Amino acid sequence: MKRLILGMIYILFIMFLNKAAIYAEQLSADDIIKKANIASYYSGKDGSADVKMIITDSQGRQRIREFRILRLNIQQGGEQKFYVYFKKPADVAKMVFMVWKHLGRDDDRWLYLPALDLVRRIAASDKRSSFVGSHFVYEDVSGRGIDEDTHKLIGADEKYYKIKNIPKDTKGVEFAYYIVYIDKKTFLPMKAEYYDKENKLIKVIRALEVKNIDGYPTVVKSEVRDMVRGGNTLMEFSNVKYNVGLTEDIFTERYLRRPPVKWIR
Amino acid sequence: MDKIKILQYIILFFYVLDVRLACASLPDFHGFLETDIGVKVSDDNTKQDTFNLLEQRLQLKTTYFFEGNNYLADKGAILNFRGDFIIDEYYDGKTDFELREMSLSLTPFEFMDLKIGQQVLTWGTGDYLFINDLFPKDYVSFFIGRDDEYLKKPTPAVKMSFYPDFASIDFIIMPYFTPNTIAKGDRLSFFDSFRSGIAGIDSDRHIISPPHQFSNNEYALRIYKNINGTEFAIYFFHGYDKNPRSYKDESSKQLYYERLDAYGVSLRGSILGGIGNIETGYYNSREDSDGSNRMIENSMFKAMLGYSKDMGNDFKIGFQYMYEQRLDYDNYRDNLLPNDYFWDEFRHLLTNRITKQFKHQTVTLSLFTFYSPSDKDGYCRPSVSYDVNDHLKATLGANLPWGEDDITEFGQMKRNKNVYIRIRYNF
Repeated sequence: MKRLILGMIYILFIMFLNKAAIYAEQLSADDIIKKANIASYYSGKDGSADVKMIITDSQGRQRIREFRILRLNIQQGGEQKFYVYFKKPADVAKMVFMVWKHLGRDDDRWLYLPALDLVRRIAASDKRSSFVGSHFVYEDVSGRGIDEDTHKLIGADEKYYKIKNIPKDTKGVEFAYYIVYIDKKTFLPMKAEYYDKENKLIKVIRALEVKNIDGYPTVVKSEVRDMVRGGNTLMEFSNVKYNVGLTEDIFTERYLRRPPVKWIR
Repeated sequence: MDKIKILQYIILFFYVLDVRLACASLPDFHGFLETDIGVKVSDDNTKQDTFNLLEQRLQLKTTYFFEGNNYLADKGAILNFRGDFIIDEYYDGKTDFELREMSLSLTPFEFMDLKIGQQVLTWGTGDYLFINDLFPKDYVSFFIGRDDEYLKKPTPAVKMSFYPDFASIDFIIMPYFTPNTIAKGDRLSFFDSFRSGIAGIDSDRHIISPPHQFSNNEYALRIYKNINGTEFAIYFFHGYDKNPRSYKDESSKQLYYERLDAYGVSLRGSILGGIGNIETGYYNSREDSDGSNRMIENSMFKAMLGYSKDMGNDFKIGFQYMYEQRLDYDNYRDNLLPNDYFWDEFRHLLTNRITKQFKHQTVTLSLFTFYSPSDKDGYCRPSVSYDVNDHLKATLGANLPWGEDDITEFGQMKRNKNVYIRIRYNF
């Protein structure tokens, strides 16, 4: 009897190992996207970074945005909270933007205007609108829900998985599909190409520099190019830290009105 | 501003300067320099015929984070300063200084924040509409087209915030009564009952403020909680009406700010792909609780409902409806004298905000409209602004109040229509 049980466990174990081996060989598109989502937006329990955006329009005029971003994962791969404290330019300095990111329903967003001591609630139904006037949209910064698209593995080479993503709901989405190149080792998306209905390339996002920070491969420099109207935005991360010990209370009205000195300096 | 107050500010300013000089790391000063020109497009009898806004303004602001091994640094103390130096050509180049903020905020205990000093205070859910936000406002700035920042007026206050598990609590003590800045005839014409119509510089009424004394302190309380993104709040206010709506002595043309208590609730959250809000308030006019004194404003009930939505492509819309009811109306009507101007029992007010941005949010078109079907008046605020670069911003806008009657909120402002230009350099 004992032998029989041990034997069965052994067989089950072998079966499991086999399955695991098969999965490791052939990840599905959904699995790759899931891993890429975690690698890009969920590193560590939390994180903080200084972000600089250099926005260049089609005529070469530049504008600069600088802010500190704090992120806390509520669930790995699920809900998150963001706190964005603006430092530059002067007219938006000390403004705070806060997001409670949800899956399957609209995010909650708040904006704090210090000159008016006003906590404004912002409608968040449009995630494809420009983030602070840059070429990045809200979803580029906080991540696009992985269930919003169907994913298809259309190729792979030694370095990258090539995945085609088609939005399930095309309403309010400026592209027909996008192709993303995901690094096989780090699972970071290194390039995303957005196409319109006529298969014309309209936008490209590229990761320009990846650094290993506290064991997490991190894109510290990325760029988005508008292929239709011209212009681009360069986004640089510095001072990136993970697992710094952010707590959920920071992402409340209390700290909108009174910035958490410890985390924004 | 009386002389003692100015002196206090000067002393405070040098005190801050001294603190600055004593600090190892000097805080950065930011701010802006701007010119505002508002050309009048309707006739009235104010001090200047052709314009009602012509000024240059320098705002300086800085934040100092306390450092080192001391109590203030330990409690995360921040000193905020924001002050405006103004050359006001409306008053023939008069120079002025307005202290917008001079506050110290700190966290003395984990469960408590403290903010002391001159500060702007805001709460409530409305957009340009206020029910439970009974903090001082500057409606002159609003109607002549200064930046939105100037609709809110700073006031000296002690703000204590507590964060127990069940909810968050703000408790504010305002020891110096700061009234709303409203039209008084020199810059903006308005309805003056003593002049039996819209008056300008000919207005000679007097407004009496409550004297500075402990029993005249104002108090405001808010208890609020955010449950899964839906924000609930209850409010209490004990103080004075910020507009002089009651008569002290008719023969000597004296008005005053009657005592006011207010109780209210609000709710705000995501609904139907946008943001919905609802807020109500009961105003208890304590000196005329039964409404029978014709000289004193009656108690009121106010409610508003709002909805705003992001339509995509940097296009946003918002709607609000506000309902106001003058309570004990029968008592009020029964005690009116034959020649009295009187208020209606009900007021309905609708607002609409449309905002569209172009060119990576550097060009903003905006239109805010008030319309009251019951008062038959309204107010349009169109504007277009352009961020030339990170420093320079130009705004062109207009203030267009109108109304069938002279007595209503916007109707009395109808001769103050203007078109304004603002050029601002941020640094």
